[in-house]
Amino acid sequence: MKLLRVDMNQSLVRWESVPPVYERLGGRALIARLLLEEVPPTCDALGPKNKLIFSPGLLGGCGATAAGRLSVGAKSPLTRGAKEANAGGTAGDTLGKLGIKAVVIEGRAPKGNWSILRIRGDSAELLPAGDVPGSGTYRTSDLLQERYGAASTVISIGQAGEMCLGGAGICVTGEAGQRSNHAARGGLGAVMGSKGLKAIVIDKPVGKVVPYADEELFRTAARNFAQKLINDPKLGTKGSQHLYGTASIVAAVNEMGAFPTRNFSNGNFEGSETLRGEYLREVTLSRGGQVGTRCMPGCVIACRNVYMDANSKAIVGTLQFETIALLGSNLGLGDLDEVAQLNRMCNDFGLDTIETGAALGVAIEAGLGKFGDFESISRLLAQVSEGTILGRLIGSGAVATGRVLGIRRVPAAVGQAMPGYDPRSLKGNGVTYATSPQGADHTAGNAFGARKEVNPLGTQGQKELSLKLQIIAAMLDSTGLCLFARPPIIANPQLMLDMLNGRYGWGWAVEDYDRANREVLRTELEFNRRAGLTAADYRIPEYMCDEPLPPHNVTFDVPTSDMASVFEAL
Amino acid sequence: VKITVELFGQLSPLSPRRQFLDLADHAPVQDAAILLGLNADEIGLITINGVQSEMQDQLTSDCRLCFFPYISGG
Repeated sequence: MKLLRVDMNQSLVRWESVPPVYERLGGRALIARLLLEEVPPTCDALGPKNKLIFSPGLLGGCGATAAGRLSVGAKSPLTRGAKEANAGGTAGDTLGKLGIKAVVIEGRAPKGNWSILRIRGDSAELLPAGDVPGSGTYRTSDLLQERYGAASTVISIGQAGEMCLGGAGICVTGEAGQRSNHAARGGLGAVMGSKGLKAIVIDKPVGKVVPYADEELFRTAARNFAQKLINDPKLGTKGSQHLYGTASIVAAVNEMGAFPTRNFSNGNFEGSETLRGEYLREVTLSRGGQVGTRCMPGCVIACRNVYMDANSKAIVGTLQFETIALLGSNLGLGDLDEVAQLNRMCNDFGLDTIETGAALGVAIEAGLGKFGDFESISRLLAQVSEGTILGRLIGSGAVATGRVLGIRRVPAAVGQAMPGYDPRSLKGNGVTYATSPQGADHTAGNAFGARKEVNPLGTQGQKELSLKLQIIAAMLDSTGLCLFARPPIIANPQLMLDMLNGRYGWGWAVEDYDRANREVLRTELEFNRRAGLTAADYRIPEYMCDEPLPPHNVTFDVPTSDMASVFEAL
Repeated sequence: VKITVELFGQLSPLSPRRQFLDLADHAPVQDAAILLGLNADEIGLITINGVQSEMQDQLTSDCRLCFFPYISGG
């Protein structure tokens, strides 16, 4: 396999063989190692010394179901630490098939000098971006697929990334004209913008098949894995994930009092009934939309949707739980059509819906809009693409917005906005938000999925649960697996080992695999330590420790000693 | 005890989504599930007044009982 290095200073590309030390790393694991070894931890996240890394997981391109995520990473302008965010679409699968372990974007182009990186099989080149800059991600994807082929994969930023705003993410196209798969979190779109890279276009590989050390071993495990997913009561064709999408949990999170409402001031939203997955499915099907669609080729879970307006015109594909929470209940909105419109705007500008929803909530608390008033909220959001000062502020994320507007109730940890679970009512997620080297990120270890193991409202067992989940998340993010595909692997790690050993012939045992997953966290924590992050950064905001959250009237009260010792057992 | 019950997701086609039940004093959650004809194997989460609960937990007057199918956070 090979690495593609792109020097934006010199406008040069070069291929390298993968050094032996990186051979057993993929996705998040490879990103963590490259950051620690090649990026000065105290560097400016938007400066030339930072590196933006695109890497498929270890199973990318193999044909295993739900294993084609693309990891993107860099030093984050929000957390100031190591960041990885991943997206569906066709990029992970395509890079894996091409034998490209990582694309590393280095340096920084002269200001205003925008480029597009085109990868065609074994060659790559930087091309002038021409008339593409200034476009949102929808137009960018359309233009580039018209130019380079409808089957190509486009990875792009919108206006928010071009302006280097901290809330900017990176958009990846999928099969059959699909848009809006986002590596959304941590401001990675701003890093891409800082490099002067508007987009990457990857031609669809033809006739490329990855080699297997033991194809029979791999195929048997991959088949068993897919079958286990199909049989899972949550994930199969009769499961709630497939039928109702990620929005299937709206009602449960709301009922448990953890649904962010009006800038995290309540955990129960009175208008949640029309935000639920059940309602989303009903409306979508009645308008001729789609449910149960895929974000990655061959995924058997298929939890996406295509949400239509009342005239049966597609607004967005897909409307997801986190977006519904942060752009819906968190802003006092109970109308899915309005949430979908805000979602589309974020997707087009290239903004993380979590970070932006939180920033809008903070701005409304400062009096710049009204909770529940779509018009005032959409006017605020539209200013991001217009590049006004207020728009740039909101696009910079929740912490920046709170600091400038004098609001202390900012739902963020380690510089990054919290996702759709208030940590006061789901305390395991609070531990993850405040201790993960990734900052407040549910994908770094989501305790909602383990709610039966530990009382979500209690403090007992939360640190052990969070650590376990953080190790699992590191595994998922390094193999390219979707986080929803974790149940069969947790139940039987041998399935993963057989897939990896069948693909690479490493002869890994459970201990090797466990050590590798733990090492990802150790590497990221070390990068963050060298970057200057301390206990003062790894914390839940003070107001959440003092201000009881209705309806359970609970604060975040996991003892500081527990929070400080999460990684003692790593 | 008089209680409000709500069913979510795939559980609701079995009976109306929201119902009001009158059960014996100190009745456990399981009694409500049986009365509604729910298959215990299809229930992934139970809450009473928003607090995670189990089949053996006692129902209280005017409580709100919710049954959810298996769901996954993400």
